[in-house]
Amino acid sequence: MWFINFLKSSIGKKYIMATSGLLLVLFLCTHVFGNGAIYISSKAFQGYADALHSLPMLVFIFSISLLVIILAHVCIGLILFWQNREVSKSRYAVEVDIVQEKNSIAAKTMPYSGLFILLFLLVHISGFTFGPEDVPVSEHVKELFSGFFYGVFYLAGFAALALHLSHGFWSMLQTFGVNHPRFNCLIGTLTYIVPLFFLIAFAGIPLYFMTGLGANY
Amino acid sequence: MSTIDLTLQIWRQKNSDSLGNFETYTLNGISTDMSFLEMLDVLNEQLTKEGKEPVAFDHDCREGICGQCGSVVNGVAHGPEKEVTLCQLHMRNFKTGDKLVIEPFRSRAFPIKRDLLVDRSAFDRIIQSGGYVSVNTGGVPDGNTIPIPSQVAELAMDAAACIGCGACVASCPNGAAMLFTSAKVSQLALLPQGDSERKKRALAMVETMDKEGFGNCTNHKACEAVCPKAISIRNIARLNREYAKAIFTEG
Ligand code: HEM
Ligand code: FES
Repeated sequence: MWFINFLKSSIGKKYIMATSGLLLVLFLCTHVFGNGAIYISSKAFQGYADALHSLPMLVFIFSISLLVIILAHVCIGLILFWQNREVSKSRYAVEVDIVQEKNSIAAKTMPYSGLFILLFLLVHISGFTFGPEDVPVSEHVKELFSGFFYGVFYLAGFAALALHLSHGFWSMLQTFGVNHPRFNCLIGTLTYIVPLFFLIAFAGIPLYFMTGLGANY
Repeated sequence: MSTIDLTLQIWRQKNSDSLGNFETYTLNGISTDMSFLEMLDVLNEQLTKEGKEPVAFDHDCREGICGQCGSVVNGVAHGPEKEVTLCQLHMRNFKTGDKLVIEPFRSRAFPIKRDLLVDRSAFDRIIQSGGYVSVNTGGVPDGNTIPIPSQVAELAMDAAACIGCGACVASCPNGAAMLFTSAKVSQLALLPQGDSERKKRALAMVETMDKEGFGNCTNHKACEAVCPKAISIRNIARLNREYAKAIFTEG
């Protein structure tokens, strides 16, 4: 079966990483705009949440799809990580950084930044998706982020996401075969802009409450 | 003519089964006009005179075109100068008092045979599985009988510049052979002579590459940075496209 061969091959696994990565990025785009309502007012945010949950079927289908995508991304990512550790066990007496680009740190730490995002996701989902049912979510946000450590943990999670994407975004396009001198400059710029956008938009939310800007929220 | 004095720390290993260790040698009065391999020749002459085993290393053309030479010098495959093979690296890149740590190319798919000699026959098996054109192309064609846009011809030539030295594998944190395989797939896929077999080729060469024990690419770009022929990772992107097209239609 061709799909099994595809999954078994090194390039096939990379395609799964890139495709699931792209879908996760697209999900983040919708998520960031929904959460952006917090910056407007607690009413706007609660309105968005209520509108979303008046469509339980949609929420259910999206949650299951996301679960499958994340599982694929995490499992294949970890398989690649273990396989590659096997290959490069013995290496050189002198170690130097051959790739002198700034984002080579991001490339080296992909599995670690990824695992931290996973930890973040677990905390995030248990806090919100499976949070208290009697408190409206717009108040629950304020409650959770009034805890200092909770806020700091969220900031760290978003920093890990930005790090992950500062290699991942470019890497995804390279895996898809998008590498052309005409577009490489644009891709390079986007690889800065995309992670930065998510960092500012997401990290702004805990900061909004932690700094007291959201006092009248 | 200026000369330099060096301390060499070289990986010595009897055969693929033995453990191996570093040996330290001092080498004085090396002309800065010498190539790196000529410097090793001087060392070997000195070792032979002392009744010791000379250091085994691969080499053939010594002009940067055959792809036989290659070692890791102070952590960098083919040494500190960009876009040159070890045989074309000159001693003027070093100065008196330098300590050079010389190691073989290391990777699971490249077992060490002796000292700095490694077995790169895995590359040959990748080529055997698809790096050829089996249609009969006849004798040398007349100029311009097969029209090929010059941009495409240039891209094919850039890929064909790969000499198969293995520096990409040796430097890849995952020991992946994507740069090599992608160059070989690209050089044929871009040209009309290679077009009829391009899907079969991409599938077969990637399958052999995986079977030989090379790692998975994580787009680190270390391969491109050390390649003595400046092969671009644009070829890897092309290989990814070729492979996807092939597996979805003929896989
Ligand atoms: C919302 C969360 C996430 C997003 C948006 C995301 C996005 C991406 C993207 C775009 C790539 C590049 C794909 C490629 O190299 O072709 C990638 C690679 C990777 N991701 Fe994630 N990721 C997320 C979560 C995770 C998690 C939870 C893990 C857990 C282990 C993880 C592990 C990895 C690894 C190991 C790679 C590198 C794969 C390779 O280079 O071969 N990621 N990610
Ligand atoms: S000996 Fe031929 S390339 Fe170096």
